[in-house]
Amino acid sequence: MKISKKIIDNLKKGGVDFYLSVPCKLLANMIEVLENDDDVYYSTVAREEEGMGICAGAYLGNKFPCIMMQNSGIGNSINAIVSLLQLYQMPVVLLISYRGTPGEPVGAQSEMAKITEEILQSLRIPMLNCSSEKDLEKISTFSKHAKVIESPVAILCNFELMSND
Amino acid sequence: MNRFQLLKSIQKKIINQLVICNIGLPSQELYKINDKENYFYMLGSMGLASSIGLGLAISQDNPVISIDGDGSILMNMNTLATIANRAPNNYTLLILDNGSYGSTGDQKTFTSELTSLKDVAIGAGCKNVIECNAEDTAKKLEQACADKNKFYVIISKIKPGNVDVEPIPLNPISIRDRFRKFIGLVSYL
Repeated sequence: MKISKKIIDNLKKGGVDFYLSVPCKLLANMIEVLENDDDVYYSTVAREEEGMGICAGAYLGNKFPCIMMQNSGIGNSINAIVSLLQLYQMPVVLLISYRGTPGEPVGAQSEMAKITEEILQSLRIPMLNCSSEKDLEKISTFSKHAKVIESPVAILCNFELMSND
Repeated sequence: MNRFQLLKSIQKKIINQLVICNIGLPSQELYKINDKENYFYMLGSMGLASSIGLGLAISQDNPVISIDGDGSILMNMNTLATIANRAPNNYTLLILDNGSYGSTGDQKTFTSELTSLKDVAIGAGCKNVIECNAEDTAKKLEQACADKNKFYVIISKIKPGNVDVEPIPLNPISIRDRFRKFIGLVSYL
C-alpha cells in the first residue's frame, strides 16, 4: 500500500485531479486509495479507448486527467491517443502497470511487454520507468511536464515494484 | 429528414450548450450549417463523441450535448454502460440513427437490421432513453436539456443521406482553444 499511496500522492502533487482505471491486480491498491479520496474524481471505465475520450473531455473541462491501466490498454487505445490526445495536444497521464516484466507469473503477458516501450516510442510519448521507490519521486515533475508540453506522458510501473506493495 | 436537415432543425435549441460532434460528415455538416465556438468538432478518434462529452459533463457544470451516430455507438458500445452509471444530469447523448455509415458511403449498419440502440441503452442501465422520429427531435432535445434532474439518451431515427461538404478548415488547436475560451478556461485568445 505504501508504494500505491506514494504514486497517488505524487500524481496529486503534479496537479492530477481526475482518475480513471481499467483495473489490474497491480493497480488494486491505487484504486482503493482513490475510492477513498474525496479530493479527486475517480471512476472505473469499461475500456481504455473510451477512457481516452473521457480524459479528453475532462481536459476540455479544465481537469488534469490520468488513466490507469495495464500495458495491454495502450494497444486498445492507439488511435484515440494519436488522433485525439495528440492531435488536439491534450495532457493526460497514462499510468501503466507494466505486466510481463520480471516477476510476472503469467507467461502470456510477455508478448505485450516486449513491445510496450517500442509502441510508446513510436507514438513519441515521453516515458518514466519506475522500478524502485526512489523512481516514484520523479512522478510529480513528470506529470507537470505533460501540461507544459501539452501531450500525453506514460508512467510505467514494473511488476516487481507493484507486487511488493 | 436526413442528418443535415436534422442538424439544421435543432440549431434553435442549442444556445449555450457545449456540443461534442462526431467525426466526419456530422461535424462537416454542422460546420456548414452554423459554425459556433461552443461546437467541438472531432477530427479523429472515431467512436468517442459520447465519451468526450461524458468527461466534459463530469468535469464542469455547463450542459453538454454529444451528437453521435449509430455507427459510432456500435463501435464503442461499452460507452452506454459507462454513461448509464456515471453521466451527470448536465449530459445529453443525441444519437442520429440513420442505419448507415454516412461518412464512408452509406453502407448499412446493424441498426438497419436487428439491433435497437434504444434496447441496448436501456439494457446498459440508462434510465431516460427516448427514441423519436426526426420531426420530434428538436423538442425532445429542448426538454432533455431543460431537465436539470436527469440525463437523457435520445435516439433520433432519421433517413440516410448526406450533402456535399468540405473538410473543416480549422486546425485542431483552434477548435480546442476557442472551445475552452467559450467555457471560460483560456484567457490568452
